[in-house]
This record gives sequence, C-alpha cells and structure tokens, in this order.
Amino acid sequence: MSVASPSAPARPTPPGPPAPGAHVRRKRRSSTSSGLVPYALALPALFLLFALLGYPMVRMVVLSFQNMRLRELFAGLTPPWVGLDNYTKVLTDSVFWTVALRTTVFTVVSVALTVTIGLAVAMLMRRVAPSIRIAMIVVMMFVWAMPQLVATQIFRWLVDADFGVINYLLTLIGLDYESHSWFAEPLEGWAVITSLVVWAGIPFIAITLNAGLTQVPKELIEAATVDGASPWQAFRNITLPILKQLIVIVTTLSAIWNFGLFTQPWVIRDGRPSSDYQTLATYAYSTAFKTNNYSLGSAISVITVILLAAVMVFYIRQMFKIGDVD
Amino acid sequence: MAAVAPVVPIRKRRRRPIDSDTVTVGRSRAGTLFANLAAIGFIVVMAFPVYWVLNTAFKPSNEILRFEPTFIPNSPTFDNFKSAFNAPFFQQDLLNSVIITLGAVAGAIVVGFLAALAIARFQFYGRKAIILVVLGVQMVPLVALLIPLYLMMQGFGRTKELPGVIIVYIVLILPYTVWTLRGFISGIPRELDEAALIDGCTRAQVFWRIILPLTGPGLVATSVYGFIQAWNEFIIINTFNDQAQQNLMAWLLQNQTQRGTFWGPLMAGSILTAIPVVIFFLIIQRNIATGLTAGAVKG
Repeated sequence: MSVASPSAPARPTPPGPPAPGAHVRRKRRSSTSSGLVPYALALPALFLLFALLGYPMVRMVVLSFQNMRLRELFAGLTPPWVGLDNYTKVLTDSVFWTVALRTTVFTVVSVALTVTIGLAVAMLMRRVAPSIRIAMIVVMMFVWAMPQLVATQIFRWLVDADFGVINYLLTLIGLDYESHSWFAEPLEGWAVITSLVVWAGIPFIAITLNAGLTQVPKELIEAATVDGASPWQAFRNITLPILKQLIVIVTTLSAIWNFGLFTQPWVIRDGRPSSDYQTLATYAYSTAFKTNNYSLGSAISVITVILLAAVMVFYIRQMFKIGDVD
Repeated sequence: MAAVAPVVPIRKRRRRPIDSDTVTVGRSRAGTLFANLAAIGFIVVMAFPVYWVLNTAFKPSNEILRFEPTFIPNSPTFDNFKSAFNAPFFQQDLLNSVIITLGAVAGAIVVGFLAALAIARFQFYGRKAIILVVLGVQMVPLVALLIPLYLMMQGFGRTKELPGVIIVYIVLILPYTVWTLRGFISGIPRELDEAALIDGCTRAQVFWRIILPLTGPGLVATSVYGFIQAWNEFIIINTFNDQAQQNLMAWLLQNQTQRGTFWGPLMAGSILTAIPVVIFFLIIQRNIATGLTAGAVKG
C-alpha cells in the first residue's frame, strides 16, 4: 500500500521495466522523507477532534462523578466530587428505566419498519415501469433532503387537532376524528413520531439497497426461476445473501441514529416534552439545561453512550471487515 | 474505480437491447400492474407531506384555519412568505446562517483534506487508530456532548457569539469530511503519483498538480454535504446563543412557540429555510450514500 511498495509497477502502460535509477530514487525518497509528513497532515484535524470531541467526552465522564449546578457554573468553582451518587440516582429512578425502555422499543420498531419498507421499496423499484421508478426516486430525494426540523414542523401541522388534514381525511372515511388530539394518548403520539421517523428514513435505505440490488446478477434469478424456484425462494436464497452486508450496515446506522432520537419528540411537543414523550437524549438534555443539573444529565448521557457502544463497535468492525478502510 | 474497469465487448453482445438489468423471466402482467399501482400508492404517501406544506404556505389564513381544507389554494397568496421574511430576526438569522455555514465548511474542508490525504496516501504508525477515531466520533450522539461543550464554551466566554459555534460546527462535519475525501483520494490511481514522482515532481507538486485537481468533484460534494449538516443544526446554537445570534433553523424552532397557531407563516418559513438544503442536496445526491456505506456498494 505504501508508495515504496516495490512490486507496484511505475506505470500501468506502456509495459516495460521502469528505469532503474528512478526506482532506487523513489524508494529512498519515501523511506526518508515520508516519516513525519502524514503526522503533520493529520495534526490539525486530530487537534480539533481531540479538543472539541475527545476532551468533552472525558469532561462528560468527569462531570458525571461531580455535582455541577448553576452556582458552580457561574462562579467558576470546581464542583464537589460525589462519586457514584449520580449513577445511583439515575439507576434507581423508575422514570429513567421507563425512558430507556421506551427509547429501545422505539428504536427496534422504527428500524424494523424502516428497513423492511425500504427493502420492499427497493425491490419494487426493480419491478415497475421506468417512468414510475424515476418518480419514486424524485419523491424520495425530496423527502431525504428535508431538514429534520422542517419535516417535524410539517408533521406537527398535518396532525394538528383543529385544522390538521389527517383528522379531516380520517373523518372523511367515516371515523370521528374532528378535533382529535394526537398527543393526549402517548401511544398515538408515538405512532405519529414513528411515522415521521420512518417516512424520513425510508429514502436512504431504499435508494442504498436499490443500488445494492443492481449487483444481483439477473441471470442467477432467471436461472433459478426457470429451474422452478418461487419468487420467495429466489429472494431468500439469492438476493438476500448478496444484499446481506449492505442491509447490516444500513440497519446499524439507522439503529444508531434512531436511538439518539431528539429533534422529533422535542419539537413536536413544543420543547417541553412531558415524561411520556422523553427519550434518553431529550431526558439528558432536559435534566441538564432545564433543571440545571449538568452532572445528572452527563450521567444519563454516559449511560446512553454505553448502551449504544455495542452497536457502534459492531458498525466499525463491519466497516473494517468490508476492507474499504485499507 | 474508473482505471480498473476492463473492456468486455463479448458481454455487451449478449445483453438484451431493452431493460437489460431487470429480471423478466417468470413475471406476469398482473404482477407488473400490481407493482406499478403499489409504487404509485407509495409515491402519493411519501409526497403528501411535501405537497401539503406547499399547499398551506400559499393559502391566506382564513383558508388555513378551517376543518375542511382546500386541496388547491382558492386564492393563492405570497403573504405568508412576506410575513415570514419580515418576521423579527429572520433576516439577521439568515445572514448568521450563511456566515456560520460558510465558515464551518471552509474550515472543515481545509483541515479535513489534509487528514484525508494522510490516511489515503501514507502508511504510518497510528493510521488505523486515526480511522477508528474518525469513524467512532461520528456515532456519538451530539446531544450527549452538548453539556461539556456548553461548559467549555462558557469557560472560554465563547457562548453568545458566532465564532464559538463555527468551531463546534467544523468539528461536527469534520469526521464525515475526512472519511469521504479519503475515499475520493483513494480513487485516484497511485500510479499517477508515482509516474509524476519519477518524472521529477516533488511531493508538493504531486499534491498541487495531480491530487488536488482530481479530487475537485469530491471537494465540491463534500463541501455541499457539510453545508447541509451545518445549515440544519439548531440544537447547539439554540442552547449556546441568545436570540440575536441564532441561525435560521433555530429561528424556525423559536418562531413555532412564539407564534402558536400561525401555521401559514410557519410553513412558509419552513420552505424558505429548507430551500437551500433541498437544492444542494439534489445536486450532490449521488455522493451522499457512498460516504456512509463506502465499499459496500461496488458500482
């Protein structure tokens, strides 16, 4: 991989041995001068990453063992050490466990829905008329491009109790949804939030998987069909194994994103989500910034990251396994 | 990628003239019809929210505030857009958005490009560790870091100001920038570098004359994606800065609570805020997925 690799030909064409002098010079140059160059190149980026992501991460962990309140913040005092008090407080709090469970259930449900629908749509795109396929791509591009906050505002308006079009459409088909409030019942409210997240998440998955489907050789499917395989068998035994790696990656990414859900419940509940609409991220944020309990908020964040760590390690290992990293 | 694609004329002859990449054996007409209908249903459902925000934004308020909506504005108007544009802080925040975004993207591209060059073109001790850091930090939920970042900025006296936010945004888009540019640089055949070195170029000349020009499209795509990320961010700035130093997204958030049920201007404001992002996104859409799933799709 290195520039000095002796087996690499100097030029692909025209074939022929490279000039011996050049070869020697090239070798010497890279063995002497490349030593510090990569470090110098990477230094600014590493400095920024460590200063503004690495250090805050350490600070977050430190904070979670202290008791930082508004007084310490403004007086610039070192907050008192409290050991594991914050963690004991969080882990014995039933609200935290409810929130953690809710976040997990939401993640599982929303990721399962997004990936399943996304895969179905990707398969559908291979089957429909070309003009319809283009329309699908265009629509999905618009949805994908929509900023999260804007999408959330749109859904807030769609399900507005008094003038929302969803209530009107449901009333139109005979249900009584006039002035129906979607957020009075948490399960209904979460159905709205899940729809929003799935709606916004489908394009990434469908378009990525559709790109992956182009790798499935159609000769294989046709041969299997001729040999009497049902469409389901062809899908199960040919398409799915080829797509597997890609599906694993998009699923992992969606899980990481959805587990950190913040914007949608936060905005849709006007920045003051009741305890029924808290996720781990909004719960940590509210604890830190609404009640000025920065340490307790940090402890919740640390626990969130630990819960996510397994998925993150899995994703990074996948990226290394694919081999693109080298 | 382009350099290794072999020419295979025989395979071309074997291909069918029409619709060669989709399976045709064993497909019924009824099945195709059903697939097309399902696809149209999907398009309608996906497009509906987008259509509805446009529909709402062009209606006068008496047409918006009623239970039975009109599906096309009866008397289309630009009033909502005017009202949003002239709302308090809109123009100031628009300017802030532009300053913050350009600053963050410029910073991230310069710093990120150098790091990407190191990872893509050099073999050195600690390279894998750097990749690990770059991939790993992308995964940490932003909100988790908000508390220590806030305390840090508070310590430096950098809250309530744009530069503090710009630096945070640089770091926010840096991992993706490094990772994507690394892919683009790796795509340039190493033989080009080597040929230039043999012909007497110095390392610096190789960079200026070969790598930089050939990474051009990658730089554009990466900057645009960075632009989108920085433009869409509102949690950090809304937490750190006060009302006069917000960006457009944060304006949209605060306007929601202040204006309550003024849906028309809110939807018009949403459109105005989203337009730059949507346009840029459509320009570079091809490159976005590749950064996240690099290597998994071999095109």
